[in-house]
Amino acid sequence: MTGWNLDPFRMRQRTGWTPTRVTYVQLIALAAPVAVSLAERGLQQIAVLLAAAVTCLIWEMTFDLIRGRSLGWHTVTVALIFAVLVPASAPVWQIVVAVSLGVVFGELVFGGRGYGIVSGAAAAAGFLVFSFPGTELSVHSEVMALATLPGLALLLVGGLVSWRVLVSVTVVLGGAGLIQDGMGGLLSAAVAVVFVLVFLIGDPVAGASTNLGRWVFGLLAGLLIVLFDTAAGPAIAPAAVVFASLLASLFAPLIDHVAVALIIRRRGLRHG
Amino acid sequence: MNKVMLTVLPGFKIDHTQLPEQRVEEGAAVKQIALLGSDLPGLRPKLLCEQGERVTRGQAVFHDRANPDVVFVSPVSGVVESITLGPRRSLSALVIRSDSDQPEPDPVVTAMSSAEEVRETLLAKGFWPAFLTRPYGRIPAPDAVPDAIFVTVTPDNPHAPDPRVVLDEGQHDAFAAGLKAIALLTSGPVHVCQTPGTNVAAGCGDRIRGSFFSDAPSSGLSGTHIHRLHPVDKGRSVWSIGYQDVAAIGRLIETGVHDFSRLVTFTGARAVQPRLIRTVAGANLQGLIREETLPGNHGSPLCVLSGSVTNGRQASWLGRYHQQITLLDNTQPRRMVSKGGLLGLFRQASSRPAPVIPTAALEQALPFDVPVVPFLRALSVGDAETASRMGCLEMVEEDVAAVSLACTSGADYGRMLRHVLDELAEDA
Repeated sequence: MTGWNLDPFRMRQRTGWTPTRVTYVQLIALAAPVAVSLAERGLQQIAVLLAAAVTCLIWEMTFDLIRGRSLGWHTVTVALIFAVLVPASAPVWQIVVAVSLGVVFGELVFGGRGYGIVSGAAAAAGFLVFSFPGTELSVHSEVMALATLPGLALLLVGGLVSWRVLVSVTVVLGGAGLIQDGMGGLLSAAVAVVFVLVFLIGDPVAGASTNLGRWVFGLLAGLLIVLFDTAAGPAIAPAAVVFASLLASLFAPLIDHVAVALIIRRRGLRHG
Repeated sequence: MNKVMLTVLPGFKIDHTQLPEQRVEEGAAVKQIALLGSDLPGLRPKLLCEQGERVTRGQAVFHDRANPDVVFVSPVSGVVESITLGPRRSLSALVIRSDSDQPEPDPVVTAMSSAEEVRETLLAKGFWPAFLTRPYGRIPAPDAVPDAIFVTVTPDNPHAPDPRVVLDEGQHDAFAAGLKAIALLTSGPVHVCQTPGTNVAAGCGDRIRGSFFSDAPSSGLSGTHIHRLHPVDKGRSVWSIGYQDVAAIGRLIETGVHDFSRLVTFTGARAVQPRLIRTVAGANLQGLIREETLPGNHGSPLCVLSGSVTNGRQASWLGRYHQQITLLDNTQPRRMVSKGGLLGLFRQASSRPAPVIPTAALEQALPFDVPVVPFLRALSVGDAETASRMGCLEMVEEDVAAVSLACTSGADYGRMLRHVLDELAEDA
């Protein structure tokens, strides 16, 4: 529908979230992980970061021009998440191709952030691993995991990550880790997945949007990580987590559909 | 740093506005009042008076073309100053200039001891529009019988008048009389929904039940009360009515006088002295606020809302169902300068709502047991069937006002809901 906006006065009265504010808060949350990645990987990482960001912005500007909209900065967060995920050794042209595909077909063709069904960064990282054999996503260190935590706290307080998804993924992974290696397995699993868990699986747009659905979505994502990972090898491979998040996002609309049907049924029973 | 965080992280802005003092004063004398079309959406009037005609208090000035029994009366004695019609022969505003020289009509006390008598009197005396149906939020048909009646004795936000203070203004007897009268209109319960405290409806009969709701912002809306106590659906209909209207009905029974006076609060950053004042429904706000407004910082213009910040509308007349006048700074919008060149191309105001990003704030803003994000999506595409299965029939515009402010999309869900409700009402 067009012309259904709030009137201008009420628009200015809004103190809640706007898409721009969501982007700002995500950028703040990403600052520490990006800084850690720069410190750990050095100059090469700057090249990766710049290549990803410039590619994203060019596509965003192109689509904004075609659609006659004002410029959104959200694709910069896509670039930052992607840069933290990929290894600094990846050639620049591969990064440009992967980011273009991820951001265009993951987000922009649907109308931009909030209209698509998968996270652009997950699509880009998945494409990179799939198309260029031998490329492996970077394995995250303990420092990276720690650097993710302040951002996680910020997003949780702002309500931009659902604690239901986090809890159910953690329960599945924790259970699997305990069965395999005891307490040590638990910790290494947490270090390996925390960044992807917060920024890809926890992405409110790519996940389920009902509370019941969020529990199921988290369980599914956790099970998929365990499944892909068992196929890959002993330590949790970063690619397994990314692919799990992609596949789980594809199932999110179905999960929501069933959850809504259940909620309507419960409502019908209560009302007689 | 702290300030930056507060501007970036929404929901952390603290409301510094002074709460209104719950003390009653007489408002400035009301020179003009208006009956407004915006209070009566979808109504097409059949006028019973002409411009320049003298009307007395309680005289019918128009009735609903579809239901001639539902009449609307003048709240003051005076002269009809102007009648403006809106699109599709709806009413825009009917303005009456009050005339204190004109003699007031003699009070006529009518018996209201049976359901038929109550119905006839309320219809003829113009008190019928005090009721609103749920579903659809419209004035009920003259022959309709509700499953229950909800009397809203709760403030919908901390700046609204405290109902206990208003009733303590010597209105308890009138309120009880009004309750007993409207209870005759239904065979079901009459829920008197109030803030925690003594039951204001104690000893009025066993069908008149007191229900208590916490002070949380959304629990003052009748939609929330109905959702908790008597959920409605197709074929299950209840009516809601405000406590000041019940007291007015009580005064009509006891004295026979048409009393449309109303206690409302002045609030907002620009109010000189936030407090309660006594005025008339439909009063001209220009006259009321003249002595009550602070000058703005840096000469910023004043914004006058009839109703609260969340639910109110910018208006020059006090709405029929509003209990609050909010005076705010109207901050200038950042101008969308269309600079030439490349930058100008990227500065376009969007005419289309932005995407819905499912934040936790959405769930807190809608106090109904519905899946919020799928529900908002159904509303935004105008999917009346899905929206009704999820429970949109329980809501009216005021219930989704908070969601519209909390959502990233900037969409006016109230208008979308009204669109869907109108479609459903046509099918019903």
